[in-house]
Formats: sequence, structure tokens, C-alpha cells
Amino acid sequence: MASRAVESSAAGHGAEPRGKRSEDGQATYLIAIAEALWEEMERDERVYLLGEDIGVYGGAFKVTEGFFDHFGAERVIDTPIAEETIVGVAVGSAMEGLRPVAEFQYADFMTSGFDEITTTLSRYHYRTGVRLPVVLRAPSGGGVRASNFHSTNPEPWFAHAPGLKVVCPSFPSDAKGLLKSAVRDDNPVVYLEHKWIYRRIKEQVPEDPDFLIPLGSAEVKRQGTDVSVITYGAMVHKALEAAESLSQRGVSAEVVDLRSIVPLDEQTVLESIAKTSRALVLYESYRFLGVGAEVAAMIAEKAFEHLDAPVERLAPPNTPVPFSPPLEDAFLPQVADIEAAVERLSAW
Amino acid sequence: MSTKVGSKEASKRRPLPDDRLKDMLYTLKLCRYFDERMEALYRQGRLPGAIYSGRGQEGTHVGVAFGLEPSDSLFATHRDLSAQLTKGLDLRRVMAQYWGRIDGYLRGRDGNSHIGDWEGNRTFAVISHLPIAYPVACGAATAYKRAGDRRVALAICGDGSTSNGRWHEALNWSAVHQLPVVWVVNNNQYAYSTPNELEFRVSTIAERAAAYGMPGVRVDGSQVLEVYEAAIEAIERARDGGGPSLIESVSLRWRGHAGHDPANYMPAELLERTMADLDPVRNFEEWMLAEGIVTKEDVQEIAERVERAFDEGYEYAQASPFPEPTDVTKGLFVEDGYWDAEPGRGGGTEAG
Repeated sequence: MASRAVESSAAGHGAEPRGKRSEDGQATYLIAIAEALWEEMERDERVYLLGEDIGVYGGAFKVTEGFFDHFGAERVIDTPIAEETIVGVAVGSAMEGLRPVAEFQYADFMTSGFDEITTTLSRYHYRTGVRLPVVLRAPSGGGVRASNFHSTNPEPWFAHAPGLKVVCPSFPSDAKGLLKSAVRDDNPVVYLEHKWIYRRIKEQVPEDPDFLIPLGSAEVKRQGTDVSVITYGAMVHKALEAAESLSQRGVSAEVVDLRSIVPLDEQTVLESIAKTSRALVLYESYRFLGVGAEVAAMIAEKAFEHLDAPVERLAPPNTPVPFSPPLEDAFLPQVADIEAAVERLSAW
Repeated sequence: MSTKVGSKEASKRRPLPDDRLKDMLYTLKLCRYFDERMEALYRQGRLPGAIYSGRGQEGTHVGVAFGLEPSDSLFATHRDLSAQLTKGLDLRRVMAQYWGRIDGYLRGRDGNSHIGDWEGNRTFAVISHLPIAYPVACGAATAYKRAGDRRVALAICGDGSTSNGRWHEALNWSAVHQLPVVWVVNNNQYAYSTPNELEFRVSTIAERAAAYGMPGVRVDGSQVLEVYEAAIEAIERARDGGGPSLIESVSLRWRGHAGHDPANYMPAELLERTMADLDPVRNFEEWMLAEGIVTKEDVQEIAERVERAFDEGYEYAQASPFPEPTDVTKGLFVEDGYWDAEPGRGGGTEAG
């Protein structure tokens, strides 16, 4: 694993400039995403961006700052506030050979384009054979005090729309390699960035313009022997923090980062369970029918003979994401919750 | 921003060479015959799934699609099969789709008029959630504008669709970005059972064009040449970089929303009067005869060709096998290659 540092500055509603890598070559998650887009646009004329305020303004989170000046209005399209049509334009232009990357200002607003995503985009190839190389990027997730309508984790909605790939990176290098793969993929990909990570996490990020991470490949972020923590997105960082703390108490937690929800890398998960015999499925989408519900069921079906303990899930309750800091903290799984769950499991 | 209401002068001129006018008559009669025969088969229980009749609206469908070049794209609804047939769909493969056969355009993965042939005829595969294809047409037009290749996207929806947010989104967007699109509303006066007066407050749909900053025109859907001339004007404007236009073509839906709907909410007198006076197929045939472009013998010959085409399509569909059931999970993603290879052909040919 590459070295990483936690930025002190707050993430979230930033009007900060995109900036550059730090002098030692480290890149934030946000910069890694910007680099991936930039490189893919340089590589392939057919790739273009569309979304609200992404051009002159550079995007709500400033991911595309500088793109408009370099690539021009035809490849960095500022759109009306019309999410159904953002997706529809992506679909129609992909049908004519372009490779659109559409930005949603927040993942929450994907509901405003839901029909085109789940009715048109996801099903069209299965119905017709036409290829739709479309990427939908969106900042998802909570923990930045952004309240109800700016903190959603929509990955289960899209994982439940057959025909979409769903990606949730947790580290800058993954973010870059997965986004580059998504842009080059001939299928539609929902690429969910986590806004809590944007400016908090930095690391050395490969500069090879063909650095790709295949969609559908999980990665073990920390080796362990007692309990497997299966997770993705911002929860990876909470799990790593918990694992570090647990190791000082003699409990060895393995952290498996799914990285992609669809396709799901079952093999890496099952190999980890074969090693540890205990599974904590940690996820930020709602507990009820969330991503972890499927992962837990898969483990129960396919790794039953390896298990020494019931599969445990740790996830937010089935409520909207609340604003008040103590409420949001109670809503989201915390490091202490993860430690307690791992210890419960390791006691079996 | 003019809004023209119900002019008949188109039918006084010959905007197309005589051989093209004869093609138009053949297409109109084929679409009408297909619609009638398919409904009969449906009522006999010999056709699985659903049917959505476009009868009485062929003037709109054939009129607008006749103005498109093969490389232009068409985004239509389930009611607009006649427009797709005009664009060039093979009736045999259309009928194979109705019977769920592997030789249908969509390999049995969709049914009835939810059809399209993008690679061949540049028609979008119909989706029920109208007007869901309107934003997609903006996307195709975005590609044409960027390529500068003078292609045009033409999209059709019904009056009911104009109440939906996507209708507004797409018209507004297309005007903002001056996209080469033609928006056609087949105003057949009913959204399923809901009449115009419960759908919108304005007196015409065409006048809404002014709100988006594009030209709007209202034409008589029973006059195919009037529709065609309006379509050509809008298509050429789009081709020349003049941006989008809106065409409202007024007709009446002669049948129910779908095959199961007796449409007893529609005033019988209105339907009778419309069928008597505003039949686009008969109107055009009579005009062709009166102009001396065709003889009665020519019309008879066309009718026979139409019947043969239908019968050939029917035989082709019945002889085509069903898809291979074990292929059900294939072709969801590109990489399994399902759509690049010849499909598996299942057994059995009896209708489900």
C-alpha cells in the first residue's frame, strides 16, 4: 500500500482551487480524479464532460477546474439544471460514438435523473446490443455535515439496475485507476466519489497515463488473520483506523476494499473469509437491503464451511441522513463501533 | 415564432416527384393494413403481448419520417411504428419481434412496437416512459452538431408527453444549445383516457414553442403532405444550423390506448366524423387519383403488394425460432460478446 496522509483541511463544500500535487508528488483523491479525466480527454477526442457548473466555474467541488480553458466549450459542457436530460444527452451522444462523462453536483441529485439512468441507460444494451460507454460521476456519502440532501449513498439503487457497473473508490490511486478504466469501458458506469475523502486523503499516485485498475477487482488494504472487515468507500478509512487500534490489543483485522460494487469481486472476499473465518460487513448505504446485505448473503451461501461466527453487518439505520453533528455521528458507523464489532466476532 | 393553424395548401401542390408520392401511398397503406391485421390477430388470441394502434395518425408518422435521410435519427413512441416503417424497418423482422422470435430486431428482448434498429435505420428502440427519448434525441443531436455533419434527430411524442418535465427539459436544452432537432407532437387528443383539456391550458401545443425560443407550427395530421412540408422546413432549418423546431400535428386516436382498451370515454360522434372526413390514408389516395398520379389499377396493385408484404412478414415470423432460453443472462454487458455473435436459436415456433 502506498503511503498516505490525512489532510487537515475540511472537505465538503469547498470553493478551493483544484491545485496541484504536493511537492513530494502526493495527490489528493480529488486531484487524482481530475488527473484521470484530464488524461483520458487528452488520450481520446471522443471523451467529453457535461454537467452543471463544471465549465467556467470548474464544478461545485472544483474537480474540473481548468478544463474549460484547455478543452473548450464543446468538450466541457455547462448544462441547464436538467438531470434527466444530462443523462439523456450522455446516452444519445454515446449512441453516436462519443464517450461522455457526466457530473452530478451531488449523488443525491441522481434521483432527478433516475428514469434515464435506470430505464434507458442501464437496460439499453441488453435490449438492443447498442454500446453505451457512459460514465456518471457523483459525490456521495456523509460525514461532512452536509445534511439530508447532500449526503446520500445511492450505490444500492444503481447496483439493483442490471446493466450498470458501480464503482466506489476509497484511495486516490484507486480513484484514478478505476476512473480511467470506467472511461475506457464500453458499458455504463456509475462512479461514486466520496466527498469526505476528496481532500482528506493523499498518497503517491501513479503518473503512467495507462495506469488502470480493472473494474470488479477488490483489494486487501490491510492483512489480518482474525476477522475480515469487508467494506468500501469512506468506511475503508474507518476500518483501517479501527484495525490499527485493534492490533495494539492483539486483534488482527483484515480490511477488504471492494472498490467495485458491480461487478462484485466475490473471490477476493471469499479468500479472505477462508483465512479469517469471521466476517464483518461494513457499509455506508442503509443496512436494510444495502450493499452489505448482498455481500453477507453471498458469504453465508458460499463460505458457510469456513465460518466460525455469524456474519455481522454494521451500517447506518434506515433513516434519512440527519444534520446535527451528534445525530450524524450516531447515524454513521464510527471507529469505536467497528472495533466493538470486530472484538465480538473475534471472541467466537 | 409563427403558429400556423390548419392550412390545406400542401395538398394542392406536389412537393415530391410522382414516384416518391407513390412510395408514400404504398407506405401509408402498408401501415394502415398492418395495424388492422395485427389487431385482428390480437383479438383472435394469435398474437402474444400487446398492441398500440396508430390508426388515423399515419399522416403524421409517414409525413415526418418521409423527410428524413437514412443517416438522420428517429426517436419515436410505441404508437409510431408507422414512422419507423417509413424510416426503413423490415416488416418481417418487425413481425418476428411481435411474436418474440430471435430474428426480431431486438432478439426477443422487447416486444410489440417497443422496437428500434439503431445500426441499420437509425431508429431508437422505443421506451414506455414517455417522453424519455426526448433527452436522448438531444444527445444524438449534440454529436451531430459537434461533428458538423448536417445530420438531424427527429423525435415524436404524444400530447400526453407534453405534461412531463422531460418534455420541457429537452425543448429548453435543445434551444439553449441550438441543436439540430425536430420535435414532433402527435396530438391525437387523448393521453390514454385523458383529453387535451385535462392535460394543458394553452389552446395549442405549438404556441409553447415561443416560450423556448424556437419556431412552432400546427399542422393537420390528416394531410400527409402538409405534415411533410412542415417537417422538411424544420429538418432543413436544423440541418443548416438554425436550431430546433416544434411541430404539432393534430389527429385523433381511432383506437384505444392499447388493444385491451375499448376507448368508450371517447365521444362516438367525434370518432365517426373524424373517420369519415379526416382519414389520412383515404385523403391521400383520393388526392393521388384526382391528380392523376395513380389510376385505380395502380391503387389495386399497391393494395396487393401491401397484402403480400404482410403475409410474407407473418410467415417469416412464424418460421423464426424463439431465443435460446439459456441466453437469458447474456448480453447485459459488452464483454461477453453476445451481441457480436450469431445468437443461439431456441426450439418451438408456437405462439406463447
